[in-house]
Amino acid sequence: MYIATFHTHFGAMSFKRQLEKLGDRQAQMMPVPRALSASCGVCVRFSLPFDQNLMASEDLESVFLEKEGGGYGLLFENE
Amino acid sequence: MKNKQTLLIAATGLVVGALAVLLTLNGNPANMGFCIACFLRDTAGALGLHKAAVVQYARPEIIGLVLGAFIMSVAGKEFAAKGGSSPMTRFVLGFFVMVGALMFLGCPLRMVLRIAGGDLNAVVGLIGFVCGILGGIFFLKNGFTLKRTYTLSRLEGTWMPILSLGVLALLLLAPSLLAFSESGPGSMHAPVMMAQAAGLIVGALAYKTRLCMVGGIRDAVLFGDFYLLYGFVAIIIAALIGNLAIGSFNLGFDGQPVAFNDGLWNFLGMALTGLGSALLGGCPLRQLILAGSGNSDSAVTVMGMIVGSAFCHNFGLASSADGPTSAGKIAVIIGFAVVIVIGLANMRKEKV
Repeated sequence: MYIATFHTHFGAMSFKRQLEKLGDRQAQMMPVPRALSASCGVCVRFSLPFDQNLMASEDLESVFLEKEGGGYGLLFENE
Repeated sequence: MKNKQTLLIAATGLVVGALAVLLTLNGNPANMGFCIACFLRDTAGALGLHKAAVVQYARPEIIGLVLGAFIMSVAGKEFAAKGGSSPMTRFVLGFFVMVGALMFLGCPLRMVLRIAGGDLNAVVGLIGFVCGILGGIFFLKNGFTLKRTYTLSRLEGTWMPILSLGVLALLLLAPSLLAFSESGPGSMHAPVMMAQAAGLIVGALAYKTRLCMVGGIRDAVLFGDFYLLYGFVAIIIAALIGNLAIGSFNLGFDGQPVAFNDGLWNFLGMALTGLGSALLGGCPLRQLILAGSGNSDSAVTVMGMIVGSAFCHNFGLASSADGPTSAGKIAVIIGFAVVIVIGLANMRKEKV
């Protein structure tokens, strides 16, 4: 599973709806895990493989891959 | 991992509640071990920004909260200078969050401490606070956004800690330049070093756990996530036990310290604070902590709260133990109008 963090709550909401349209039924909004820092407190946990061209927006901050056995690997950072 | 975090925020809440009672026992006004609104207001008074003689004192707790968060964020290599998300709108929201808090006589953190002291007016405030947050959630669900933040220079993110150090320097080295209340709540305070230490500890823990009175209720409603709410509840438990132990628990509506019993305005004051804080993304405590860890939007919000507190006392908007003022009631109504306009004007349509 992936975790996407956002600059705004709105960004998280839009991202989740977009993923639902792309067919990701597991996508859900939740508070950002403490191990990750984020501008807004909300993240989206999703299962579709991350595709920067398809999924990135101005409000997207970072995307992490959940590692087996805990921890997160940074996949994408939007500055 | 998750259990460890829950444990940490519950422990943080217990520490905050216990330290609040300790500060009260050592001189702070009753049920005011910590109050971000009152203490920013007192600090504004100490700096001469308002002339209400009974509420002037450069509160070391505020300085400690900012510096505690700063030290913790730097130590954890998490300090990040960020800002640029509608700063002037945040200033205005901070201003009216303060108008609401000084109507009620306390920020959300003091509301929790008042509940733990048996002040049932604060339970009315809590109901208003929850309603305000529900209003904020309505805007969030309908596309409210203050737009994104950007990475800024380290200096930009460090101003709040620097300014806090400046006030601390004045307090310790040149107190004659500051105003000090000789009577009233501003004259009641714990020893400087104790207050400073308590602020540092709570600042560090609040940074580490993201403790937030607004976030607790928001996350519970939006996601059924109770992590932040555990901190909220733990503060009440610790302060309640502390108050019972020192004999300062007094259940009822009447005769509560630095409070009044007009239910409608206790409700509306906290509702305005809850609504404004939900749009800002965090309660006044959280804004201070974020400002300490490099968020200049939160620093601007804190400035809005400071200016708001000065306005409240220069224009007779702040309540007292005698109750709310007519001017204060008008200001709260104007506050609702302004915050609702901000909410409506910043709703975006979905891009997808």
